[in-house]
Amino acid sequence: MKRARSAGIAALTAAIAALLAAASARAGDGAAQRGRAVLEAAGGCTCHSDVKGGGGPLAGGRAMKTPFGVFYSTNITPDPETGIGRWSDSEFVRAMREGLAPDGHAYFPVFPYPSFTGMGDEDVLAMKAYLFSLAPVRRENRPHDAWPPFSWRIAASAWRWMFFEPRRFAPDPARTPEWNRGAYLVAAVAHCGECHTPRTLPGALDRSRWLAGSKDGPEGELAPNLTPDADTGIGLWTKTDIAWFLQTGQLPDGDDTEGLMKEVIEHGYGHLPESDLQAIAAYLHSLPPVRNDALAEHEHGHEHGDESAE
Amino acid sequence: MHSIRIALTTGIAAALLVTAIGVAGAASAQDAAKADEGAIKYRQSLMESVGGDMASISNIMKYGLPLTGNLVVHAESLAAHAKLVSTAFERKVTAGQTDAEPAIWAKADEFKEKTKALETETAKLVEVAKTSDPAALGVQMKATGKACGGCHDNFRKPKEESFKRKGGGGE
Repeated sequence: MKRARSAGIAALTAAIAALLAAASARAGDGAAQRGRAVLEAAGGCTCHSDVKGGGGPLAGGRAMKTPFGVFYSTNITPDPETGIGRWSDSEFVRAMREGLAPDGHAYFPVFPYPSFTGMGDEDVLAMKAYLFSLAPVRRENRPHDAWPPFSWRIAASAWRWMFFEPRRFAPDPARTPEWNRGAYLVAAVAHCGECHTPRTLPGALDRSRWLAGSKDGPEGELAPNLTPDADTGIGLWTKTDIAWFLQTGQLPDGDDTEGLMKEVIEHGYGHLPESDLQAIAAYLHSLPPVRNDALAEHEHGHEHGDESAE
Repeated sequence: MHSIRIALTTGIAAALLVTAIGVAGAASAQDAAKADEGAIKYRQSLMESVGGDMASISNIMKYGLPLTGNLVVHAESLAAHAKLVSTAFERKVTAGQTDAEPAIWAKADEFKEKTKALETETAKLVEVAKTSDPAALGVQMKATGKACGGCHDNFRKPKEESFKRKGGGGE
Protein backbone atom coordinates (compact mmCIF):
# COMPACT_ATOMS: atom_id res chain seq x y z
CA MET A 1 0.00 0.00 0.00
CA LYS A 2 2.68 2.47 1.01
CA ARG A 3 4.73 0.74 -1.62
CA ALA A 4 2.10 1.29 -4.26
CA ARG A 5 2.19 4.98 -3.65
CA SER A 6 5.93 5.45 -3.57
CA ALA A 7 6.30 3.22 -6.60
CA GLY A 8 3.74 5.34 -8.42
CA ILE A 9 5.67 8.42 -7.52
CA ALA A 10 8.93 6.74 -8.54
CA ALA A 11 7.40 5.90 -11.90
CA LEU A 12 6.30 9.46 -12.47
CA THR A 13 9.74 10.65 -11.57
CA ALA A 14 11.32 8.08 -13.88
CA ALA A 15 9.13 9.08 -16.80
CA ILE A 16 9.94 12.71 -16.27
CA ALA A 17 13.63 11.92 -15.98
CA ALA A 18 13.50 10.07 -19.29
CA LEU A 19 11.87 13.04 -20.98
CA LEU A 20 14.49 15.37 -19.63
CA ALA A 21 17.42 13.06 -20.33
CA ALA A 22 18.24 14.74 -23.63
CA ALA A 23 18.11 18.20 -22.15
CA SER A 24 20.19 17.23 -19.18
CA ALA A 25 23.01 15.74 -21.25
CA ARG A 26 24.61 19.17 -21.26
CA ALA A 27 23.87 19.75 -17.61
CA GLY A 28 26.50 17.36 -16.42
CA ASP A 29 28.09 19.09 -13.48
CA GLY A 30 26.73 19.16 -9.97
CA ALA A 31 25.74 22.81 -9.71
CA ALA A 32 23.81 22.61 -12.98
CA GLN A 33 22.03 19.47 -11.80
CA ARG A 34 21.08 21.14 -8.55
CA GLY A 35 20.07 24.19 -10.51
CA ARG A 36 17.63 22.21 -12.56
CA ALA A 37 15.91 21.18 -9.34
CA VAL A 38 15.82 24.83 -8.24
CA LEU A 39 14.38 25.89 -11.59
CA GLU A 40 11.72 23.20 -11.26
CA ALA A 41 10.91 24.42 -7.77
CA ALA A 42 10.41 27.82 -9.41
CA GLY A 43 7.74 26.31 -11.63
CA GLY A 44 10.16 25.73 -14.49
CA CYS A 45 10.33 29.48 -15.17
CA THR A 46 7.52 28.70 -17.60
CA CYS A 47 6.61 32.37 -18.06
CA HIS A 48 9.84 32.64 -20.06
CA SER A 49 8.63 30.00 -22.51
CA ASP A 50 6.35 31.22 -25.27
CA VAL A 51 4.69 27.91 -26.03
CA LYS A 52 1.79 29.31 -28.04
CA GLY A 53 3.98 31.71 -29.98
CA GLY A 54 6.31 28.90 -31.01
CA GLY A 55 9.27 30.28 -29.09
CA GLY A 56 11.85 27.90 -27.66
CA PRO A 57 11.86 26.95 -23.99
CA LEU A 58 13.05 29.84 -21.81
CA ALA A 59 13.70 32.03 -24.85
CA GLY A 60 11.14 34.62 -23.69
CA GLY A 61 8.50 36.52 -25.61
CA ARG A 62 5.50 35.20 -23.75
CA ALA A 63 2.78 37.79 -23.25
CA MET A 64 1.81 38.32 -19.62
CA LYS A 65 -1.52 40.09 -19.45
CA THR A 66 -1.74 42.23 -16.32
CA PRO A 67 -4.01 45.08 -15.17
CA PHE A 68 -1.17 47.42 -16.17
CA GLY A 69 -0.79 46.23 -19.71
CA VAL A 70 0.89 43.38 -21.54
CA PHE A 71 4.44 42.52 -20.58
CA TYR A 72 6.68 40.18 -22.55
CA SER A 73 9.02 37.83 -20.74
CA THR A 74 12.69 37.88 -21.64
CA ASN A 75 15.12 35.42 -23.16
CA ILE A 76 16.95 33.66 -20.31
CA THR A 77 18.89 31.20 -22.45
CA PRO A 78 22.67 31.79 -22.54
CA ASP A 79 22.64 33.45 -25.95
CA PRO A 80 25.23 36.25 -25.67
CA GLU A 81 23.33 38.71 -27.91
CA THR A 82 19.66 38.22 -27.08
CA GLY A 83 19.81 36.19 -23.85
CA ILE A 84 21.80 36.30 -20.62
CA GLY A 85 24.96 34.68 -21.95
CA ARG A 86 27.20 37.60 -20.97
CA TRP A 87 25.88 37.99 -17.45
CA SER A 88 28.26 37.53 -14.54
CA ASP A 89 27.28 35.68 -11.37
CA SER A 90 26.80 38.91 -9.48
CA GLU A 91 24.67 40.41 -12.25
CA PHE A 92 22.44 37.35 -12.21
CA VAL A 93 22.13 37.44 -8.42
CA ARG A 94 21.31 41.15 -8.49
CA ALA A 95 18.64 40.65 -11.15
CA MET A 96 17.01 37.81 -9.26
CA ARG A 97 17.13 39.26 -5.77
CA GLU A 98 17.09 42.98 -6.33
CA GLY A 99 15.21 43.40 -9.58
CA LEU A 100 17.97 45.31 -11.37
CA ALA A 101 19.21 44.56 -14.87
CA PRO A 102 22.97 44.53 -15.57
CA ASP A 103 22.67 48.09 -16.97
CA GLY A 104 21.06 49.18 -13.69
CA HIS A 105 17.46 49.70 -14.79
CA ALA A 106 14.74 48.27 -12.60
CA TYR A 107 12.51 45.46 -13.76
CA PHE A 108 8.77 45.73 -13.64
CA PRO A 109 7.48 43.55 -10.81
CA VAL A 110 5.83 41.27 -13.33
CA PHE A 111 9.22 39.60 -12.92
CA PRO A 112 8.81 38.16 -9.41
CA TYR A 113 12.01 39.47 -7.87
CA PRO A 114 10.09 40.55 -4.75
CA SER A 115 9.73 36.80 -4.09
CA PHE A 116 13.12 35.67 -5.40
CA THR A 117 14.75 38.15 -3.03
CA GLY A 118 14.26 35.47 -0.38
CA MET A 119 16.40 32.91 -2.22
CA GLY A 120 19.72 31.71 -0.88
CA ASP A 121 23.02 32.33 -2.74
CA GLU A 122 23.54 28.68 -3.48
CA ASP A 123 20.12 28.23 -5.08
CA VAL A 124 20.40 31.35 -7.24
CA LEU A 125 23.85 30.43 -8.51
CA ALA A 126 22.87 26.82 -9.12
CA MET A 127 19.96 28.09 -11.19
CA LYS A 128 22.34 30.21 -13.24
CA ALA A 129 24.67 27.24 -13.73
CA TYR A 130 21.76 25.22 -15.05
CA LEU A 131 20.54 27.97 -17.38
CA PHE A 132 24.06 28.37 -18.73
CA SER A 133 24.26 24.62 -19.41
CA LEU A 134 21.34 24.86 -21.84
CA ALA A 135 21.58 25.52 -25.55
CA PRO A 136 21.48 29.24 -26.35
CA VAL A 137 18.46 30.37 -28.35
CA ARG A 138 18.66 33.52 -30.42
CA ARG A 139 15.48 35.47 -29.91
CA GLU A 140 15.24 39.22 -29.47
CA ASN A 141 13.32 40.51 -26.46
CA ARG A 142 10.08 42.23 -27.25
CA PRO A 143 9.29 45.64 -25.74
CA HIS A 144 6.45 45.71 -23.22
CA ASP A 145 3.05 46.95 -24.18
CA ALA A 146 2.01 48.66 -20.97
CA TRP A 147 -0.16 51.71 -20.53
CA PRO A 148 1.37 54.99 -19.39
CA PRO A 149 2.65 55.65 -16.81
CA PHE A 150 3.43 51.95 -16.42
CA SER A 151 5.11 51.94 -19.78
CA TRP A 152 7.76 54.34 -18.52
CA ARG A 153 10.94 52.79 -17.32
CA ILE A 154 11.07 55.28 -14.46
CA ALA A 155 7.80 53.78 -13.20
CA ALA A 156 9.57 50.50 -12.52
CA SER A 157 12.25 52.31 -10.54
CA ALA A 158 9.69 54.31 -8.61
CA TRP A 159 7.69 51.19 -7.85
CA ARG A 160 10.80 49.40 -6.69
CA TRP A 161 11.79 52.29 -4.48
CA MET A 162 8.33 52.49 -2.92
CA PHE A 163 7.41 48.85 -2.50
CA PHE A 164 10.52 46.71 -2.51
CA GLU A 165 12.98 45.81 0.15
CA PRO A 166 15.55 43.06 -0.39
CA ARG A 167 15.08 40.44 2.30
CA ARG A 168 16.60 36.96 2.48
CA PHE A 169 14.35 34.23 3.83
CA ALA A 170 14.93 33.79 7.56
CA PRO A 171 13.90 30.44 9.05
CA ASP A 172 11.64 30.58 12.09
CA PRO A 173 13.44 28.64 14.85
CA ALA A 174 10.13 28.00 16.60
CA ARG A 175 8.94 25.94 13.63
CA THR A 176 9.97 22.55 12.31
CA PRO A 177 12.57 22.21 9.52
CA GLU A 178 9.78 20.87 7.30
CA TRP A 179 7.65 23.97 7.87
CA ASN A 180 10.62 26.23 7.19
CA ARG A 181 11.43 24.38 4.00
CA GLY A 182 7.80 24.77 2.90
CA ALA A 183 7.77 28.45 3.80
CA TYR A 184 11.00 29.04 1.87
CA LEU A 185 9.70 27.25 -1.20
CA VAL A 186 6.27 28.90 -1.19
CA ALA A 187 7.42 32.45 -0.42
CA ALA A 188 10.71 32.59 -2.31
CA VAL A 189 11.56 29.95 -4.92
CA ALA A 190 8.13 28.73 -6.03
CA HIS A 191 6.86 32.34 -5.75
CA CYS A 192 3.26 31.15 -5.15
CA GLY A 193 2.26 34.52 -3.72
CA GLU A 194 2.92 36.32 -6.99
CA CYS A 195 -0.27 34.90 -8.47
CA HIS A 196 -2.18 33.72 -5.41
CA THR A 197 -1.96 36.86 -3.25
CA PRO A 198 -4.25 39.77 -4.11
CA ARG A 199 -2.52 42.98 -5.09
CA THR A 200 -3.05 46.53 -3.94
CA LEU A 201 -3.92 49.25 -6.42
CA PRO A 202 -0.28 50.00 -7.32
CA GLY A 203 0.34 46.30 -7.88
CA ALA A 204 2.15 45.38 -4.67
CA LEU A 205 1.24 42.15 -2.89
CA ASP A 206 -1.38 42.69 -0.18
CA ARG A 207 0.44 40.70 2.49
CA SER A 208 -2.45 41.04 4.92
CA ARG A 209 -4.24 38.63 2.62
CA TRP A 210 -1.24 36.37 1.95
CA LEU A 211 -2.14 33.59 -0.54
CA ALA A 212 -5.84 34.39 -0.25
CA GLY A 213 -6.35 34.23 -4.01
CA SER A 214 -6.42 36.83 -6.73
CA LYS A 215 -8.66 37.67 -9.62
CA ASP A 216 -5.74 39.25 -11.45
CA GLY A 217 -3.52 36.27 -11.99
CA PRO A 218 -1.18 36.31 -14.97
CA GLU A 219 -2.72 36.07 -18.43
CA GLY A 220 -6.02 37.22 -16.96
CA GLU A 221 -6.44 33.99 -15.06
CA LEU A 222 -7.89 33.59 -11.64
CA ALA A 223 -5.61 32.28 -8.93
CA PRO A 224 -7.55 30.45 -6.20
CA ASN A 225 -7.34 31.04 -2.46
CA LEU A 226 -4.65 28.74 -0.98
CA THR A 227 -5.39 29.42 2.68
CA PRO A 228 -7.22 26.74 4.69
CA ASP A 229 -10.57 28.54 4.66
CA ALA A 230 -13.18 25.80 4.23
CA ASP A 231 -15.54 27.80 2.00
CA THR A 232 -13.32 29.91 -0.21
CA GLY A 233 -9.89 28.31 0.22
CA ILE A 234 -8.51 24.78 0.27
CA GLY A 235 -9.51 24.00 3.85
CA LEU A 236 -11.03 20.71 2.78
CA TRP A 237 -7.85 19.51 1.06
CA THR A 238 -5.62 17.14 3.02
CA LYS A 239 -1.86 17.52 2.89
CA THR A 240 -1.84 14.42 0.71
CA ASP A 241 -4.30 16.11 -1.66
CA ILE A 242 -2.00 19.13 -1.93
CA ALA A 243 1.12 17.06 -2.57
CA TRP A 244 -0.67 14.89 -5.15
CA PHE A 245 -2.09 17.92 -6.90
CA LEU A 246 1.32 19.57 -7.19
CA GLN A 247 2.71 16.35 -8.55
CA THR A 248 -0.02 15.43 -11.04
CA GLY A 249 -2.25 18.47 -11.57
CA GLN A 250 -5.22 16.41 -10.43
CA LEU A 251 -7.67 18.00 -8.02
CA PRO A 252 -9.24 16.07 -5.14
CA ASP A 253 -12.53 15.74 -7.03
CA GLY A 254 -10.83 14.07 -9.99
CA ASP A 255 -10.83 17.19 -12.18
CA ASP A 256 -7.66 18.48 -13.81
CA THR A 257 -6.15 21.94 -13.54
CA GLU A 258 -5.83 24.28 -16.51
CA GLY A 259 -3.90 27.27 -17.68
CA LEU A 260 -0.59 28.42 -16.27
CA MET A 261 -0.91 26.14 -13.22
CA LYS A 262 -0.95 23.13 -15.48
CA GLU A 263 2.24 24.33 -17.15
CA VAL A 264 4.14 25.11 -13.96
CA ILE A 265 3.26 21.65 -12.63
CA GLU A 266 4.34 19.97 -15.84
CA HIS A 267 7.63 21.82 -16.15
CA GLY A 268 8.24 22.52 -12.49
CA TYR A 269 6.45 21.55 -9.31
CA GLY A 270 5.58 18.08 -10.58
CA HIS A 271 9.28 17.21 -10.44
CA LEU A 272 9.79 18.21 -6.81
CA PRO A 273 10.87 15.52 -4.37
CA GLU A 274 8.12 14.11 -2.16
CA SER A 275 9.66 15.76 0.91
CA ASP A 276 9.36 19.21 -0.68
CA LEU A 277 5.74 18.60 -1.68
CA GLN A 278 4.95 17.55 1.87
CA ALA A 279 6.75 20.61 3.20
CA ILE A 280 4.69 22.91 0.99
CA ALA A 281 1.52 21.15 2.13
CA ALA A 282 2.50 21.47 5.79
CA TYR A 283 3.20 25.17 5.36
CA LEU A 284 -0.07 25.87 3.52
CA HIS A 285 -1.99 24.00 6.21
CA SER A 286 -0.43 26.20 8.87
CA LEU A 287 -1.61 29.46 7.33
CA PRO A 288 -4.38 31.46 8.94
CA PRO A 289 -7.57 30.89 6.95
CA VAL A 290 -8.62 33.99 5.03
CA ARG A 291 -12.12 34.26 3.70
CA ASN A 292 -11.77 35.57 0.17
CA ASP A 293 -13.81 34.36 -2.74
CA ALA A 294 -11.54 35.28 -5.62
CA LEU A 295 -14.05 33.90 -8.09
CA ALA A 296 -16.81 36.15 -6.85
CA GLU A 297 -14.44 39.07 -6.86
CA HIS A 298 -13.55 38.30 -10.44
CA GLU A 299 -17.19 38.28 -11.40
CA HIS A 300 -17.69 41.59 -9.63
CA GLY A 301 -14.88 43.10 -11.67
CA HIS A 302 -16.53 41.93 -14.85
CA GLU A 303 -19.84 43.56 -14.07
CA HIS A 304 -18.12 46.90 -14.05
CA GLY A 305 -15.66 46.14 -16.73
CA ASP A 306 -15.10 44.89 -20.18
CA GLU A 307 -17.79 42.46 -21.06
CA SER A 308 -17.24 43.19 -24.70
CA ALA A 309 -13.66 42.13 -24.38
CA GLU A 310 -14.62 38.58 -23.49
CA MET B 1 -75.49 38.47 -44.98
CA HIS B 2 -74.30 35.13 -46.17
CA SER B 3 -70.89 36.40 -47.00
CA ILE B 4 -70.61 37.99 -43.57
CA ARG B 5 -71.42 34.65 -41.98
CA ILE B 6 -68.77 32.94 -44.08
CA ALA B 7 -66.28 35.58 -43.22
CA LEU B 8 -67.07 35.24 -39.53
CA THR B 9 -66.81 31.45 -39.61
CA THR B 10 -63.60 31.60 -41.53
CA GLY B 11 -62.30 34.21 -39.13
CA ILE B 12 -63.14 32.12 -36.08
CA ALA B 13 -61.70 29.02 -37.67
CA ALA B 14 -58.53 30.87 -38.55
CA ALA B 15 -58.26 32.28 -35.05
CA LEU B 16 -58.73 28.81 -33.59
CA LEU B 17 -56.10 27.42 -35.93
CA VAL B 18 -53.62 30.13 -35.07
CA THR B 19 -54.22 29.51 -31.37
CA ALA B 20 -53.80 25.79 -31.87
CA ILE B 21 -50.53 26.27 -33.74
CA GLY B 22 -49.44 28.71 -31.08
CA VAL B 23 -50.18 26.24 -28.30
CA ALA B 24 -48.45 23.46 -30.20
CA GLY B 25 -45.52 25.75 -30.91
CA ALA B 26 -45.28 26.77 -27.30
CA ALA B 27 -45.49 23.14 -26.28
CA SER B 28 -42.71 22.13 -28.63
CA ALA B 29 -40.61 25.10 -27.59
CA GLN B 30 -41.12 23.97 -24.03
CA ASP B 31 -40.12 20.45 -25.00
CA ALA B 32 -36.99 21.75 -26.70
CA ALA B 33 -36.04 23.84 -23.69
CA LYS B 34 -36.49 20.83 -21.46
CA ALA B 35 -34.43 18.67 -23.78
CA ASP B 36 -31.67 21.30 -23.76
CA GLU B 37 -31.72 21.42 -20.01
CA GLY B 38 -31.58 17.65 -19.86
CA ALA B 39 -28.62 17.55 -22.24
CA ILE B 40 -26.69 19.93 -19.99
CA LYS B 41 -27.60 18.04 -16.83
CA TYR B 42 -26.59 14.74 -18.38
CA ARG B 43 -23.23 16.05 -19.57
CA GLN B 44 -22.50 17.30 -16.09
CA SER B 45 -23.48 14.09 -14.35
CA LEU B 46 -21.47 12.07 -16.86
CA MET B 47 -18.42 14.25 -16.21
CA GLU B 48 -18.92 13.69 -12.51
CA SER B 49 -18.84 9.95 -13.09
CA VAL B 50 -15.58 10.32 -15.00
CA GLY B 51 -14.13 12.60 -12.34
CA GLY B 52 -15.35 10.28 -9.59
CA ASP B 53 -13.41 7.33 -10.94
CA MET B 54 -10.34 9.47 -11.52
CA ALA B 55 -10.55 10.63 -7.90
CA SER B 56 -11.05 7.07 -6.62
CA ILE B 57 -7.98 5.78 -8.45
CA SER B 58 -5.99 8.79 -7.23
CA ASN B 59 -7.14 8.22 -3.65
CA ILE B 60 -6.13 4.56 -3.69
CA MET B 61 -2.73 5.56 -5.06
CA LYS B 62 -1.97 8.67 -3.07
CA TYR B 63 -2.98 7.15 0.26
CA GLY B 64 -1.58 3.73 -0.59
CA LEU B 65 -4.91 2.11 0.31
CA PRO B 66 -5.11 -1.69 0.45
CA LEU B 67 -7.78 -1.58 -2.25
CA THR B 68 -5.64 -2.17 -5.29
CA GLY B 69 -8.11 -4.84 -6.40
CA ASN B 70 -10.62 -2.04 -6.96
CA LEU B 71 -8.39 -0.24 -9.42
CA VAL B 72 -9.47 -2.34 -12.39
CA VAL B 73 -13.14 -1.70 -11.59
CA HIS B 74 -12.58 2.05 -11.53
CA ALA B 75 -10.50 1.96 -14.69
CA GLU B 76 -13.13 -0.08 -16.52
CA SER B 77 -15.87 2.24 -15.34
CA LEU B 78 -13.79 5.20 -16.48
CA ALA B 79 -13.20 3.68 -19.90
CA ALA B 80 -16.88 2.85 -20.29
CA HIS B 81 -17.93 6.37 -19.36
CA ALA B 82 -15.29 7.87 -21.62
CA LYS B 83 -17.01 6.23 -24.57
CA LEU B 84 -20.20 8.09 -23.74
CA VAL B 85 -18.64 11.53 -23.77
CA SER B 86 -19.06 12.14 -27.50
CA THR B 87 -22.71 11.04 -27.37
CA ALA B 88 -23.41 13.48 -24.55
CA PHE B 89 -22.47 16.37 -26.83
CA GLU B 90 -24.43 15.34 -29.88
CA ARG B 91 -27.13 17.85 -29.06
CA LYS B 92 -25.83 21.38 -29.47
CA VAL B 93 -26.69 23.41 -26.38
CA THR B 94 -24.57 26.41 -25.58
CA ALA B 95 -26.95 28.59 -23.59
CA GLY B 96 -27.91 28.00 -19.99
CA GLN B 97 -26.13 26.65 -16.94
CA THR B 98 -23.24 25.14 -18.84
CA ASP B 99 -19.49 25.50 -19.22
CA ALA B 100 -19.45 23.86 -22.64
CA GLU B 101 -17.76 26.06 -25.23
CA PRO B 102 -19.48 26.60 -28.59
CA ALA B 103 -16.18 25.43 -30.12
CA ILE B 104 -17.34 21.86 -29.41
CA TRP B 105 -19.69 22.18 -32.38
CA ALA B 106 -17.75 24.78 -34.35
CA LYS B 107 -14.65 22.57 -34.34
CA ALA B 108 -16.42 19.24 -34.24
CA ASP B 109 -13.52 17.32 -35.79
CA GLU B 110 -11.06 18.56 -33.22
CA PHE B 111 -13.50 17.77 -30.43
CA LYS B 112 -13.97 14.26 -31.78
CA GLU B 113 -10.21 13.80 -31.80
CA LYS B 114 -10.01 14.83 -28.16
CA THR B 115 -12.79 12.53 -27.01
CA LYS B 116 -11.13 9.74 -28.99
CA ALA B 117 -7.89 10.44 -27.12
CA LEU B 118 -9.70 10.01 -23.82
CA GLU B 119 -11.13 6.70 -25.00
CA THR B 120 -7.66 5.53 -26.04
CA GLU B 121 -5.95 6.55 -22.80
CA THR B 122 -8.66 5.12 -20.56
CA ALA B 123 -8.59 1.83 -22.49
CA LYS B 124 -4.83 1.71 -21.86
CA LEU B 125 -5.51 2.50 -18.21
CA VAL B 126 -7.67 -0.64 -17.94
CA GLU B 127 -4.85 -2.76 -19.32
CA VAL B 128 -2.31 -1.22 -16.98
CA ALA B 129 -4.64 -1.58 -13.98
CA LYS B 130 -4.92 -5.31 -14.73
CA THR B 131 -1.15 -5.77 -14.47
CA SER B 132 -1.20 -4.28 -10.93
CA ASP B 133 2.04 -2.46 -11.68
CA PRO B 134 1.66 0.71 -9.61
CA ALA B 135 4.55 2.42 -11.36
CA ALA B 136 3.01 1.99 -14.79
CA LEU B 137 -0.36 2.99 -13.39
CA GLY B 138 1.09 6.28 -12.16
CA VAL B 139 2.39 7.04 -15.64
CA GLN B 140 -0.89 6.10 -17.31
CA MET B 141 -2.91 8.15 -14.83
CA LYS B 142 -0.86 11.14 -15.81
CA ALA B 143 -1.52 10.41 -19.49
CA THR B 144 -5.23 10.11 -18.75
CA GLY B 145 -5.22 13.41 -16.90
CA LYS B 146 -3.57 14.97 -19.93
CA ALA B 147 -6.36 13.64 -22.12
CA CYS B 148 -8.92 15.30 -19.81
CA GLY B 149 -7.01 18.56 -19.92
CA GLY B 150 -6.43 18.31 -23.65
CA CYS B 151 -10.14 18.66 -24.17
CA HIS B 152 -10.89 21.04 -21.30
CA ASP B 153 -8.26 23.44 -22.63
CA ASN B 154 -10.31 24.57 -25.59
CA PHE B 155 -13.74 23.15 -25.02
CA ARG B 156 -14.60 23.98 -21.42
CA LYS B 157 -14.99 27.52 -20.16
CA PRO B 158 -12.21 28.54 -17.78
CA LYS B 159 -13.23 28.77 -14.13
CA GLU B 160 -13.29 32.56 -14.38
CA GLU B 161 -16.19 32.31 -16.81
CA SER B 162 -17.99 29.37 -15.25
CA PHE B 163 -21.77 29.57 -15.18
CA LYS B 164 -21.56 28.65 -11.52
CA ARG B 165 -20.28 32.14 -10.84
CA LYS B 166 -22.34 34.05 -13.36
CA GLY B 167 -25.48 32.72 -11.73
CA GLY B 168 -24.23 33.98 -8.36
CA GLY B 169 -24.59 30.93 -6.09
CA GLY B 170 -21.30 29.13 -6.26
CA GLU B 171 -21.16 25.38 -5.76
